[in-house]
Amino acid sequence: MTMKSVAQASATVDDTHSRQTRKRIVHRRAWGSWIFAGVVLGLLVAIVDAAVSAHVVDASVFANYLFSRKILEGAGNSLLLGTVALFAAGAVGLIAALMRVSGNPVLATLSSVYVYLFRGTPMLIQLIFWFNAFPLMFPQLHVAIPFTDHVLIDGPMTEVVTPWIAALIGLSLAEGAYMAEIIRAGLRAVDTGQRDAACALGMRRGQILYRVVIPQAARIILPAAGNQYILLLKSTSLASAIGYLELLRVTTDIYSANFRVVELLCVAGFWYLVMTAFATALQMLLERLYPHR
Amino acid sequence: MNVPNSLPACAVDLVGVTKFRGTQAVLRQVSARIPQGQVVALLGPSGAGKSTLLRCVNHLEPIDDGQIFVEGELIAYRERNDICFEMSDRDVSRQRQRIGMVFQSFNLFRHMKVLDNVMSGPRYVMGQSRSQAEHTARALLERVGLSEKAGAYPHQLSGGQQQRVAIARALAMSPRVMLLDEPTSALDPELAQEVIAVIRQLASENITMLIATHEMRLARDFADRVLFMVGGELVEDAPARRFFDDPQHARSKQFVSRHSHAA
Repeated sequence: MTMKSVAQASATVDDTHSRQTRKRIVHRRAWGSWIFAGVVLGLLVAIVDAAVSAHVVDASVFANYLFSRKILEGAGNSLLLGTVALFAAGAVGLIAALMRVSGNPVLATLSSVYVYLFRGTPMLIQLIFWFNAFPLMFPQLHVAIPFTDHVLIDGPMTEVVTPWIAALIGLSLAEGAYMAEIIRAGLRAVDTGQRDAACALGMRRGQILYRVVIPQAARIILPAAGNQYILLLKSTSLASAIGYLELLRVTTDIYSANFRVVELLCVAGFWYLVMTAFATALQMLLERLYPHR
Repeated sequence: MNVPNSLPACAVDLVGVTKFRGTQAVLRQVSARIPQGQVVALLGPSGAGKSTLLRCVNHLEPIDDGQIFVEGELIAYRERNDICFEMSDRDVSRQRQRIGMVFQSFNLFRHMKVLDNVMSGPRYVMGQSRSQAEHTARALLERVGLSEKAGAYPHQLSGGQQQRVAIARALAMSPRVMLLDEPTSALDPELAQEVIAVIRQLASENITMLIATHEMRLARDFADRVLFMVGGELVEDAPARRFFDDPQHARSKQFVSRHSHAA
C-alpha cells in the first residue's frame, strides 16, 4: 500500500467517526419492573403508616427489654446451644458420611437409615422424644465399666436428661443427619486422582483423609455448613418446648406476665438477627481463609 | 521377611500378572523382567491395559493372579504356603515410598502451594522436618526449572509446569522406580516438550522408568525397550530400536506404520 492510499483510508475512517458521534443512543427502559417497584413501595408506606398511627410498638418498652439480664442470658444460651450442637453435629455427620462411603454394606446401610430417620422426622418431635419419651423408656441410668465394680453414673434418667442435655442431643442428632449429607457430597467432590497421588507417595489411609481429602472437601462443605449454622441457631427456639431457658422461652415467660407480646417478640427477633449476622460474618471469613480452588 | 525371589539386578519383575474387571480380563499373564536403570515404554492402543499395569505395580489396583516384584520384594502380598495374602495398609504404603508415580492429570494437591506439594512426601511420609524437606524440595524445583513458582498454587500454573512439579514431587521420595502414566497426553505439543525434556534428563540418570505413552517421540527418543500391549496382553517385547525398525508381530507392524505416518 502506498502512503497516499493509507492517508485516504484514514480520512474515510475519520468521516465515519464524526458522523456516528452526532447520534444519541437511548436504551430500552424496563418500565414493567419500575411500575411494580412503585406499587410495592406504596403498599409498604401504607403498612408503616397504619402501624405508626395504631402505636403497635412502644419503643421505650422495646429498649428496656433489649439489654435486660434475662434476655441476654437467654440469647447467650441459644448461641451456646446452637454452637455446641453444630460441632457435635459436624462430628456425627463426619462419622456417618465416612460410614456411607466406606464401601462396607452394613456401615453404609446403617448410615443411610440414620439419615433417613433423623432427617425425615420433625426436629420438635425429636426434642420432645429425648426429653419426655426416652426417660419413660429407660427410667434408670446405670453406666459401669464392664468386669469391674466401678460405677460411673447411677441415677434416675429424669435427673440425667435435663432440658439442656435433651436439647443438645436432639439438635445434634437431627442436624448431624443433614451434615452427613453435606459432608458426603464434599468428600465425593474431591477428585479420585488426589487420593491416587497421595497413595502413590506412600501416605496411609488416615493421612490421605487428614492431609488431602478433608482439607479439600472442607472448602466445598464450608458454605453449606455456614448455612446450617444459621438454621441451627434459629432452631434452638424449638428447645423452648422442653423448658430450656433459651431466648424464645425467656421472652414468652416475660410476655405471659406483662402481655407486651409485640415488643418482646421484636426483642427476640432482634437478637436472632444479631446471631445470624455473626454466623454470616464467620462464614465469610472462613471462606476467605480457605478459598475453593 | 520376604526372601527375594529374583535376581537383585532386576528392578521390576512382572510374573504372569493378570487382572479382571468383572469377567473381562484387562491384563492377561503379563511377564517381563526389567533390569535396574532401564527405560521402558509401554505402547499400545487405548484400552490395552498400559495404565492398569502401571497402577498394579504400586498396588493402586489389586491384581487377581501373578506376582510383581520391585527390587526383589513381592509387592502388596505376603506369600505363605503358596497363598498370597494382601498386606496391611501400613506395609503397602512403606513399599510405595520407593515407587514414584506421575499421572496423566498431574494430580497436584490443589490446596497446597507448589513447594508444599513437593515437600508433602518427605514431610508426611518420611517424617522429615520442614527445613530438611524444604532444602531438597527447592533443589528439585530448580532441577525442573520452576524455582520461581515455589509459592504458587497449582491452578496458577500451566499444564506443563504442573506436570514438572508432579515429577519433582515424586522424585522428592528418592524413588528406585518411576511409573509415568501418559505424562504428556494432557498437554499440547509445546508444553509436552518441556516435560519430555525433564523426563529425558531422568532417563540419563539411571532411574528405572516405566512410561505408558501415546507419544511416539518419547518412546523413540530415549526408551531402551518397548512393551507393546493389545487387549491386556503383552504382544511384543523388544529393544526400542528394533521395535520401530523391524516390528515382529502383525499388530505391532500396523501400530508402528500408522504412527510413523502420523509423525
